[in-house]
Amino acid sequence: MSLALEAIGITKQFPGVLANDHIDFALEQGVIHALLGENGAGKSTLMNILYGLYQPDFGEIKINGQRTVIASPHDAIVKGIGMVHQHFMLVPPLTVAENIMLGQEALTSNSAGFGQLARLDHRTVSRRVRQLGEQYGLEVDPEALVQDLTVGAQQRVEIIKALYREANILILDEPTAVLTPQEADELFVIMRTLVQQGKSIIFITHKLREVLASADHISVMRAGKMVGSVKPAEASQNLLAEMMVGRNVILQIDKSDAHPMEDVLRVSGLRVFDDRHHLVVDDVSLAVRAGEILGIAGVQGNGQTELTEALTGLRPLAGGHVSIDGRDIPHITPRGMIESQISHIPEDRHKHGLVLSFSVRDNMALCSYYEPPYAKGIEMNFPVIEEHAAALTKQYDVRTPSINTKVSSLSGGNQQKVIIARELARPVKLLIASQPTRGLDVGSIEFIHQQIVAARDGGAAVLLISAELDEILALSDRIAVMYKGRIIETMDAKDASREKLGLLMAGATMEGAHV
Amino acid sequence: MSNAPAPVALGRKLWRWSSMPLLAILLAFAIGGLVIWVTSGSLITVVDAYVGLLRGAFFKQRGFSETLVATIPYVFLSLAVAVAFKTGLFNIGVEGQFTIGSVCAAWAGVTFGGLPAIIHLPLVLLIGALGGAIWAAFPGFLKARTGAHEVISTMMMNYIAFRLAEYLISVPLRDPSSTGVQTNRIALGAELWTLAAFPERLQDPLNALLLALVVSLLTVLLARIVLRTARFTAIFENVPQRRTIYIVAALLTGGLCFFAIPPLTRVWWPFTDQYDRLHAGLFLSVIAAVAVWWLLWKTTIGFELRTVGANPHAAQYAGVNITRSIITSMAISGALAGLAGAVEVLGVSICRCLPLFFSSGYGWDSIGIALLAKNNPFGILLTSLLFGAMRNGADLMELNSGVSKYIISLIQALVLLFVSAPVIVRWVYRIKDKPKTDNASLTLDSGGRQ
Repeated sequence: MSLALEAIGITKQFPGVLANDHIDFALEQGVIHALLGENGAGKSTLMNILYGLYQPDFGEIKINGQRTVIASPHDAIVKGIGMVHQHFMLVPPLTVAENIMLGQEALTSNSAGFGQLARLDHRTVSRRVRQLGEQYGLEVDPEALVQDLTVGAQQRVEIIKALYREANILILDEPTAVLTPQEADELFVIMRTLVQQGKSIIFITHKLREVLASADHISVMRAGKMVGSVKPAEASQNLLAEMMVGRNVILQIDKSDAHPMEDVLRVSGLRVFDDRHHLVVDDVSLAVRAGEILGIAGVQGNGQTELTEALTGLRPLAGGHVSIDGRDIPHITPRGMIESQISHIPEDRHKHGLVLSFSVRDNMALCSYYEPPYAKGIEMNFPVIEEHAAALTKQYDVRTPSINTKVSSLSGGNQQKVIIARELARPVKLLIASQPTRGLDVGSIEFIHQQIVAARDGGAAVLLISAELDEILALSDRIAVMYKGRIIETMDAKDASREKLGLLMAGATMEGAHV
Repeated sequence: MSNAPAPVALGRKLWRWSSMPLLAILLAFAIGGLVIWVTSGSLITVVDAYVGLLRGAFFKQRGFSETLVATIPYVFLSLAVAVAFKTGLFNIGVEGQFTIGSVCAAWAGVTFGGLPAIIHLPLVLLIGALGGAIWAAFPGFLKARTGAHEVISTMMMNYIAFRLAEYLISVPLRDPSSTGVQTNRIALGAELWTLAAFPERLQDPLNALLLALVVSLLTVLLARIVLRTARFTAIFENVPQRRTIYIVAALLTGGLCFFAIPPLTRVWWPFTDQYDRLHAGLFLSVIAAVAVWWLLWKTTIGFELRTVGANPHAAQYAGVNITRSIITSMAISGALAGLAGAVEVLGVSICRCLPLFFSSGYGWDSIGIALLAKNNPFGILLTSLLFGAMRNGADLMELNSGVSKYIISLIQALVLLFVSAPVIVRWVYRIKDKPKTDNASLTLDSGGRQ
């Protein structure tokens, strides 16, 4: 089989980090080639080089056997490489067709030559979009507004955009991160159709299950090096995980049965508006008991963010009651919640969880800086704060050169460990953990999962919100499924299965979910 | 981990911190020289201009003392800008708060005449600071409550302040016996002593007591800061009674100032007539710099302000009251600016009163100073000195070389341009760009950009 794309000896040095160390990578024509690796393994650097965003220090790239230099993303598109980013590059108020032609606008023939005044040729573009959709099984209405589409459909628009620009090689960067399991399966079908018609796909991911289910080839990167390539038939999840991490990994978290006690958090009839004043949490009631983990499953954007924000005082309630230990809390404030021993691992660690320009030391003190022994009157007591931070970095295995290092220069996993350490080191009655391992490496995920279970075993009530079904299934004692702002089903974790949750996450009712 | 870093590391840190501003200054002077050369057609003029600038700023009669006189308001005002900056606020209105501060100080200086300096001076400074604080807290309140942008509102408040000051000076506060439009004479008790006047003033035991109080207070604060600094705690760990140290230190320095200094100054005092305009505001400005440093980096209030400035979302998450922080920050900022106005009117006003059109554009320069000093209080002391020197040396430069003194504004503008666009400086000096690998890790388990 001929090679669509070949990278030979690619080396890219960033100050202090060898991001790509003599990487060889060969993409055959007409296959799905998965590129697996933890965050920071160098996958993104390699892809950014292939997409022309970076130039390699050494090494060469061949497209269809011909040596070439990819000078810019535009150059990459011209050479037939298309990229679908994890975060979509779409303009919501424009139609699908308009989004697709953006940057390559088709003009009506009779207006050519009028420059700025030329009229856009919607009809031709729409026809081409429909045609591409039929050819590759990508159903989208070209006249629909992007803002009205589901996430899965938006992703299809991104793929069509690349195809419209005549891409032969598609790079899909973590494409399943935003999808339900069912939508992910649909995507794999589309990917299969694409390669059957001669396209080649590089599929970047860190989800082992998906790789085994969809790829023809698997390459694994670790710490800037290409560790090896395997065929899915010869691989197992354990083998791949070991290749990614470089050591044996416990994929299944060891967890004893829960011994739930009294209700700690009780929520009834909660209603919350989002920033655009849409009701996104609609009449949610739930209870979390001490010593159990309640997992809230759901595709991103079904109100989970607003629910956690409301429970932690970051967003006002539009209605409903919240009580802690049976005590009604009419006015929730972040500090009030902290002082009632509620810990919060926020969904977006860069936005809420950390002050990136502050040191590890200061971030460790972020929630307790004002009270003794960390402060004496209005003065901070830095010797105590430093002692505390040093002890926590050790206990929670935060790999940092010093506690005075800015957290912005730590890896994602270590940044998250700073938050975990800060939130779990104080007495915890209730832990609200929102996407606690998003974007982290396997080693950190393992560690953080253990910490969450340890908090439960220590008697804390845990509310876990995650879009990763694997995480929900691995940790939860009970599972609630959130769909369009409502909790549509709550079940014991023993009764849950991936398929059942997947259907519920897509909005099916329980009757429909009995497969 | 927290122990004293090696001196080499400290030096390197200092260099890393100050190299860009220093190179920017160098580059700005080089281009300024180029402009002088091109416009005058002679290299000698460039030399003449810069020698004149240097002589005017430091070496001519009163040169250095006048430079310091100009430095004082710069220090206060750029500290004001820096406090707001650190909270993520852009206080454009320091000029207006300065004006309000000076009017308040002039009013209090006249109204409470007859009080001894030990009460009157602190009172007047306080009222000046309070005026500025209220003037700035209002836009802070608007920002926190309604989201009105502080750049707009502080700027608008400037114009209100100017017109209000003009009215107050020319109508209710006006000295009817004077031909010029100015306030009544400020009482002697509210005057900030010039350095030359120290020996004479200190003959009054109440004044000596004032000095003793201020000095002993400072001693205690300094001792506390030193003893609290992590680097020194290890050394002083065995000290049993810190309180005793403070009391002894305060009594010792206070007693020295009260009993020994006044007679001593009669016999020997280094500050001659050259320093008859340089006033005690100089010391206040240094104290203000230390106080701002302490406030921002050593107190919980400062921690809150910096958190709000660095990441308001995280501040909210941590339970910081953002509304209160914004108002506090603006009030502190305004208090410093108001203090600048008070100090200026009590220290250097020629008529010993507040004349119409008192403000002279220190405020705008101060925004640049804060920027150049990266909002660091000690950097602000040095940068204010630089700007004070340039402002003061400009006249002699013009006299010496015929080059317009406005070239100084050009150079200052270039410095700011280069500081805010470091890419240019890096390109000129061929300095490698700081790595853009924000997420690049110093640790083992991660790599390049994600």
